[in-house]
Amino acid sequence: MKETISPERKIVLPGDLVSTNPRNAGSGTYIENGKVYAKIFGLLDEKSNRVIPLKGKYIPEVGNLIIGIIEDVQSNGWVVDINSPYEAFLPVSEYPKAITGKQPKEIMDTGDVIAAKVVNIDPMMRVYLSMKDRSARILHRGRLIEILHTRVPRVIGRKGSMVSLLKKELGVKIIVGQNGRIWVDGPETMINFATDCIQIIEKEAHTDGLTERITSHIKKLKRGV
Amino acid sequence: MKTLSNEIIADIKKDFVYRKLKNNERVDGRKFDEFRSIEIIPGIIPRAEGSAMVKLGDTEVVVGIKMQPGEPFPDTPDKGVIITNAELVPLASPTFEPGPPDENSIELARVVDRGIRESGAIDLEKLCITEGENVWIIFIDIHALDDDGNLLDASSLAAIAALMNTTIPSEKFGYGDDEILPVRNIPVSVTSLVLDEAILVDPSSDEEKLTPNRVTITSDSDDNLVSMQKSGAFLLSEEKLYELVDLSVEKARGIREMLRDV
Amino acid sequence: MEENQKFIVNGKRIDGRKIDELRPIKIEAGVLKRSDGSCYLEMGNNKIIAAVYGPRALHPRHLQDPNKAVIRYRYNMAPFSVEERKRPGPDRRSVEISKVSREAFEPVVIKELFPRSSIDIFIEVLQADAGTRVAGLNAASVALADAGVPMKGMVTAVAVGKVDDHIVLDLFKDEDNYGQADIPIAMFIRDGKIEGITLLQMDGQITKDELKEAIKLAKKGCLEIYRLQKEALFKRCRGEDFVE
Repeated sequence: MKETISPERKIVLPGDLVSTNPRNAGSGTYIENGKVYAKIFGLLDEKSNRVIPLKGKYIPEVGNLIIGIIEDVQSNGWVVDINSPYEAFLPVSEYPKAITGKQPKEIMDTGDVIAAKVVNIDPMMRVYLSMKDRSARILHRGRLIEILHTRVPRVIGRKGSMVSLLKKELGVKIIVGQNGRIWVDGPETMINFATDCIQIIEKEAHTDGLTERITSHIKKLKRGV
Repeated sequence: MKTLSNEIIADIKKDFVYRKLKNNERVDGRKFDEFRSIEIIPGIIPRAEGSAMVKLGDTEVVVGIKMQPGEPFPDTPDKGVIITNAELVPLASPTFEPGPPDENSIELARVVDRGIRESGAIDLEKLCITEGENVWIIFIDIHALDDDGNLLDASSLAAIAALMNTTIPSEKFGYGDDEILPVRNIPVSVTSLVLDEAILVDPSSDEEKLTPNRVTITSDSDDNLVSMQKSGAFLLSEEKLYELVDLSVEKARGIREMLRDV
Repeated sequence: MEENQKFIVNGKRIDGRKIDELRPIKIEAGVLKRSDGSCYLEMGNNKIIAAVYGPRALHPRHLQDPNKAVIRYRYNMAPFSVEERKRPGPDRRSVEISKVSREAFEPVVIKELFPRSSIDIFIEVLQADAGTRVAGLNAASVALADAGVPMKGMVTAVAVGKVDDHIVLDLFKDEDNYGQADIPIAMFIRDGKIEGITLLQMDGQITKDELKEAIKLAKKGCLEIYRLQKEALFKRCRGEDFVE
């Protein structure tokens, strides 16, 4: 099966001119002398003047939901690996409940996986997390999948359509971290199916007709059961 | 606490140097294309085969030349060998650390070396004793004593001045009478700091704190360019490069006259 | 090779090229699995691999810059890359090349986006045939783009030199060894246009007019190489990652 890159998406190199109107600067661009240039190698979305990266490190932004792995426990909180050049810190005060009388280590220990929100980043890129959020939780069971963070929007789909499709058709729980980590839980077979689908989405992220292909792929997988 | 207050002082000073430049003035009152005072003292280390001390403003460098017979390089069996080395010893600046040469001292030595080598100042074929077996090896050792900026030009100046009073120690090694080392050409390097639109010739250490961006251009006695080195993190325009070439060649001529008079 | 042999006869060089002609160049982006970005490049008989890691956490902490990423560049020659075996590890030449090559990328990489981190560029010269530092820069530029590192544009480099009193493009080994001058130059290219010199070295003997001619040739060569860098990245984009 041969798929093509969406025709409206042009490949750009760093430095390629995106727009002569600085008000039209999307992500993945920079402005110099009133002109907008691509700052990364990627695909240009000419409608929004943003450059969609093909690769690159996850750099946290405030508001991102991420899936992190506890790396170190300190007396005042947890150091969390967020699949980025920067580690994050979750202070005990941002844990949903008061932990009086307990050590942080008794609540969560090294290697534990959590979903948390990025709530603050200082100019030195020190990243602070919070679990005082409805989508935050400790992820005890299930499977953790890592994909290129740049492909996360396709896994989520337009207004969450793709992730809803997977949840509905496969009966699994899914949390998609903006940092490229995806947590899936449910019956073993369905986790396997979901993993399969997510890998296809990652691989074909820049092609058209992805939703249709995933729908038919799920049907095929289920028929094989 | 001491380092902190020193840093603050450094910042205030930097700001002062910068504001002066915006006003078209250098902190020490020099013109943008003006060298500091140059003093060349030849033969300062009699034990060496050749030597010179150069004072460029408050910057001080000693270069000593030692010569000994040794094996030629396999690809140049009939030519002598030049080995240039620079030691930025901790006595010369608070920023120099003891230990093996870092990238700055390696770059300095290599740029000085290229100027001497490419100008053909030394006729390497004259340094052949027995082809393929024995040739004279010239060690040019650069010793910085006080780094008040532009160590590179001070070093290349001291190196050529030292070569110009070098005696080949033939007698010591049983090859007949001692001879004067012939020097055919006088390469002179000129380093300029490139800061925004300004070009500052022979930067002092205060000026070097503003930016690491500089260009070194070495020219020979016939005004040929023999070595160039852009150093630091900046974009150099073609026009600025040609401006630097003209300036460097002109400045080099004056300094070459001084060397001839020593 | 005799020192007084003619390098240019009837406008042609020993290897058959015209004076303004590049050696054959082959560029492939994304050749290594573990690195964040990579490139394999051939330029004549030069064979170069570049790998980029980062931005990544930089340890120990005293090496960090609180305001921006630190670029590190390591140019390394394999012991078997040259005629006489080269002792492994950094020598003075490779230390200097690493320094000026790093500086060539400093004004181009947008370091301010990644405080405290490092962006590490590794160049391995597997086979050397003159112009390894510029070949390394060309490969590094593609590897950085492949890694998704933000840059203001691309860096493209070529060596120009003087042989037989002619200014020629892209010296090969004999021309480099016995020629009259060697001038490695790297250009900053934005939107297909040359916007400045980012690396410049020279040794030999040339006049100012010859320098002007050399820069003109370098610009021509760089624009040709830039097209090949672009092609390699386009191919990478359309490659197996995106097409089943």
